[in-house]
Amino acid sequence: MKDDDRSYRAAARDAMEARFARSVAACLSESAERVSPDVAERLRFSREKALEIARRARGDAEELGVTASGAAMAGFSQSRWWLRFASVLPLVALVGGLVLIQNWQSRTQISVAAEIDEALLGDDLPINAYRDPGFSEFLKAPPSE
Amino acid sequence: MATEKELSDFLKSVEKRAWKRAVYAVRDEDAALDIVQDTMIRLSEKYADRPAAELPLLFQRILSNATMDWFRRQKVKNQVVRNFSEYEIAGEDGEFDILETLEALGGPLQSESAAESVSRAQILQTIEAEVALLPARQREAFLLRYWEELDVAETAASMGCSEGSVKTHCSRAVHALAKALKAKGITS
Repeated sequence: MKDDDRSYRAAARDAMEARFARSVAACLSESAERVSPDVAERLRFSREKALEIARRARGDAEELGVTASGAAMAGFSQSRWWLRFASVLPLVALVGGLVLIQNWQSRTQISVAAEIDEALLGDDLPINAYRDPGFSEFLKAPPSE
Repeated sequence: MATEKELSDFLKSVEKRAWKRAVYAVRDEDAALDIVQDTMIRLSEKYADRPAAELPLLFQRILSNATMDWFRRQKVKNQVVRNFSEYEIAGEDGEFDILETLEALGGPLQSESAAESVSRAQILQTIEAEVALLPARQREAFLLRYWEELDVAETAASMGCSEGSVKTHCSRAVHALAKALKAKGITS
């Protein structure tokens, strides 16, 4: 019986505290609505600045989302291994290309030299060549290995 | 995700109360405006993608943190800590019958000596002054619980304390306010 009475009194006390607190809060709300125009204007400016920042933050998030989905569609998903491989790929292609170009140039040079040699050897020997002492010496010399 | 309109409406609905809360805490109107701006920007930067229902609690937390940051910047942390431990003001003396006073103050607040002698603005100013005089933690709990209408659990989460502490702070704040307002002749 005593416990019931005590809990009833506690509940009544809580209810009255809450009622009083809400009365005070209502007065504070009324007071808050009476802020000076200068303060209201500065609050409006702050709000607009914050909204601008939120707009930018949302834009960045959407852009990031598009980039991630584009990478996923290209088959890279979000794997770091693939991303690393993809970043090294252009370098490998560049080195391979340089090697191929060098190889092609060297073959071209060899083929040009061979054509010149062939033309020289296939042509008739001019008669003046036999009067050249150096050529006579060349003919007398044993063929080198 | 809260739409831009929801965020705008929310900020509009909360900005004046937030400024008042900051004024009660730091007692400097310009600093309070800076704190509210800082709070709005932090909310927009980091939590613009949250649902609208989560905004009130996030805002209150950020506002509390921004206020604490202001105190830190002012290098008066020791003063704040001292204020936080000042709960022992009201409700301890036997002469003051809180139940009786609360019964008297339960209705809309007005001047005891008739409305014509003290203007409504003066009553509101007196109430604000008494709220501002409450110890910081009591004031924070009282304002979050009854002005921002957070429940006990949300208030505790926002203040970083237990629900029991919130109830104690709120009760002590109510008793202190009731006593102070009665002393100033403001009753129903």
